Amino acid sequence: MTRLVAAAVAALACTGTAHAAQRIALPSPIAPLSAQPPLAGGAHRSAENVAHSVSASTNVAVAIDRSGTPFSVTATQRLDVRGVGDYFFTIGAPVLAVRATADSASSPGMRTGSILWAGFNPGERLLVARATLEPAQAVPALPLRVLVSGHTVTLENTTTVTVETFTADAPRPPLIAYLSLLRGEVEHGRTPLQTSVPLASTPANVRMTVTAPLHVTGTIGARHVDLVLARRTEVRGSGRIDLRAEPIEHVDAVTPADGRALLREAIRATLVLARANQYEEFLGNPDPAGSSRTVYAYRTASPPHAAPVAAVGRERRTWVETALFVAALAAVLAAGAALWARS
Amino acid sequence: MTVRRIALLAVAVPLLAACGGGTHDATKHLLIVVNAPFSSTPYLGRAIENGTRLAAAQVNTIGVRVGNDHYLLTVRTMDTGLSPARAVANVRRAVSDGAIAIVDEGTGVDASWRVAERRGVPICIVFAGGRSLVDAATRPNVFRIAPTDHGVAFRLAEYLIPKHVKVALLHDDSDYGTAGAKELKRAFDGDRASVAIDETLPADALDLSPQILRARRAHATALLVWGRPATIASAITAARSAGWNVPLYTPPTGADPFVRQQLADHPSWVDGLTFAAGRLTAEVGAGPFTGFTQRYAAAYGVDRVGVHTSAGAAVTEPPETPMYAYDFVNLLAAALTKAGSTDPAKITKALEEVTVEGANGDERAFNHSSHEGVVDDDVYFARFHDMTYTPVKDDPLSATLPAISQTQ
Repeated sequence: MTRLVAAAVAALACTGTAHAAQRIALPSPIAPLSAQPPLAGGAHRSAENVAHSVSASTNVAVAIDRSGTPFSVTATQRLDVRGVGDYFFTIGAPVLAVRATADSASSPGMRTGSILWAGFNPGERLLVARATLEPAQAVPALPLRVLVSGHTVTLENTTTVTVETFTADAPRPPLIAYLSLLRGEVEHGRTPLQTSVPLASTPANVRMTVTAPLHVTGTIGARHVDLVLARRTEVRGSGRIDLRAEPIEHVDAVTPADGRALLREAIRATLVLARANQYEEFLGNPDPAGSSRTVYAYRTASPPHAAPVAAVGRERRTWVETALFVAALAAVLAAGAALWARS
Repeated sequence: MTVRRIALLAVAVPLLAACGGGTHDATKHLLIVVNAPFSSTPYLGRAIENGTRLAAAQVNTIGVRVGNDHYLLTVRTMDTGLSPARAVANVRRAVSDGAIAIVDEGTGVDASWRVAERRGVPICIVFAGGRSLVDAATRPNVFRIAPTDHGVAFRLAEYLIPKHVKVALLHDDSDYGTAGAKELKRAFDGDRASVAIDETLPADALDLSPQILRARRAHATALLVWGRPATIASAITAARSAGWNVPLYTPPTGADPFVRQQLADHPSWVDGLTFAAGRLTAEVGAGPFTGFTQRYAAAYGVDRVGVHTSAGAAVTEPPETPMYAYDFVNLLAAALTKAGSTDPAKITKALEEVTVEGANGDERAFNHSSHEGVVDDDVYFARFHDMTYTPVKDDPLSATLPAISQTQ
C-alpha cells in the first residue's frame, strides 16, 4: 500500500501546476498496514462456482504469567457460512492443534500453517474451530501488551505503525462529505469505501504514525477496568488479570479545520480504520467482503511446568573400545597391503 | 597373483562406487502395489487396478522429478481373495519389494497397516468404509478415498428422519453389514422413534421373506438395507414379490451392478431404489468427471452392467471406484514432489500437505488431523429408474448435482 501511495504521489508531482485538476486516492480503510494480522497470510477460499457469504468472529484467549508475559494463545473462530454449495477454506495460522467445538457442523482439518474447512453447505452452516497457536508466532500479532511490576500494571497498545502517505492543500467540501460518509458507514457497521479527492496543491510525502484504539475492560485483582487505550497507560492494582481488548472502529466528527488539516484528518481516519480492521481479522475471513470481529482475552494463568528432561543414554564408545577398533582397523589394512605386495 | 588382484578389485570397485555421490539423470522406477480381491470380486479388483494404472500412465507422461533423479511409476497387482491373511502377506511382500505406496481395497488393513508402517509406507483404502480402519493419530500411514460408513449412515439418517418414515434397519451379518449396523445405530440414536425394527439378515440366505415380513408387521414404512449386493437384491425380491411396494434405501452397494443383474427379469423392482454414495461431480459440473470417464473408457473400455433400459440401451457403470484410486496416485505424485524424496515415510508426511484437483473436479486432499479424502458432506443420494440412476431432488447436495450418462 505504501508503494501505491508513493506511486500516486510521484505521478501527481509530475503533473506540476495541473495539480488543481487532479484527484488522488485516499488510503483504503480496509487494506492492511503490515504483514500481520491476519496471521500466516490470512484466509482464502479455493476457486469454486459459489461465493459464500461468511461472517467471522474470533475469540483469542491469551494466557499470561504473573509478569504479564503470554505463554499460550488459543483462538476460537466461528464462521457463519451462508449460501448453498461446496466450500474449501484455508485459514492461515501457526496452528499446533485444532478441533471442532460441540456446536460446529463439521470438523476442521489441519496442515502446517493452516486450518482447513471442506464440505457442502446446504444453505447455512456454522463452522467453529478451536486452535492452539504457536505462541512465538502469534504473540507479535496481538494488540495489547501487559506488563506487571509490583502493584502497577502497564497496558500498552501494540498496534502502532508508521506508514508513508502524503499531504497537500485540498478543497474542504469533498473531504467533509467523505468524512461524514465514513463516520456513518462505520456507525452502521458497514464496510467503508475508499475514495479519491481533488487536490489544490502538489502533494508531498509524509510519514504518519497510526494506532488502532482498543476498548479494554475487565479486572486487575479487585479493580475494575474500562478504558480506551490509545498508546500506553498504567493501572494501579495487583492480583489476577482478566481483561478483554477489542479494536475500536470509530470516526470522529468533522472539525472546522482548513483543507490541508481536513485532508490529514481524512487520511488518518482511513488509516486508523484500516489498522483496527486488521486486528478485527486476527485469523482472517475467507470471504473478502464478509464481516470480521475479534475479541482478545488476557488472563493470568500458571504456565505449564516443563517435565524434567531425563538424561538420554547414548551409545558411545569408551576410549578402550575406540583403541581396540583403531587397532583392528590397522591390522586389517596391514594384512591387505601384505597380500597385495605378495600377489 | 593376478587373480587375487582381480578379486581385490572386484571387492573394492563396488565399495568405491557405493561411496560415490554425484548427479545422474537415468530414469528410475517407483513401485505402487494394488492390493485387491482380484479372484473373489474381479470387478472391484479391476476397477482399483485400472484407476491406479490410468493415473500412473498420466504421471509417467512427464514422470516425477525428485532432486536430480527422474522417476516413473510402476504398478503391480496382488490378490487378496478377500482374505485378511493374504492381504497382510501381500503388504509384507510389497514393503520388502520397496513399494512406495499401496492402493488397497481395505481387507486386512487392521493388521497390514503395522507391516507397512515399519517402513512408513502409505496405504490408501479406496473401497472399505469402516470407521476404525482410518485414524490419523493412531494409524499415521493409512489414508482413505472412499465414502465412510459413518458418513453414509449419518447422511441417510439426515435424509430419512425429516421424512417421518418408520424405518426398518436391516443389515446382513457380513463384516460390511455389521460395521454398517454400528454406524446406523449411532446415526439414528438421536431419533429412535423413527426406527420400526432393527434386524440382522443372514448374508448367504437366498430368501429373506421371513425377515421382510417381520419388518412389515413392525409397521415399517421404509427399508434401509445395509449389506452386500446379494443381500440387497434378496431383500428387494422378498419385498416386491410379496407385493409390498415399500421405499428401499441402501449404502453404495445398492448401486453395485450385481443388484441389477439379479433383478434383470424384474426391472420395475429396481425402480425407486435409493442409495447413498460419494458424489461423482463437483460444483463445476459434470465436465471433469465426463472427461475422466472418457479417458478411462479409452484405456480400459466401458464397464457394462449387463442390463438394458426399456429402450434397449446397454447400461454402463460410471467409474467411481477407479476415480478414487486415480485421485490417490495423483496425490502421491504431488507428495513425492513436495517431499523431495522417495523415502516412503517422507511421502506419507507430505500426503498431509498436498491438494490436487480430483477426477470429479473437486479438491482432493488429506491433512494432519484427517486422512479421509471423501468428507461426509460429499455423500449424496441417487434413485433408480429404468436401470439407471439420477441424483434425488429432495436433498440440498443431491439437488445441485447433474445426472451422469449411464447408457451406451
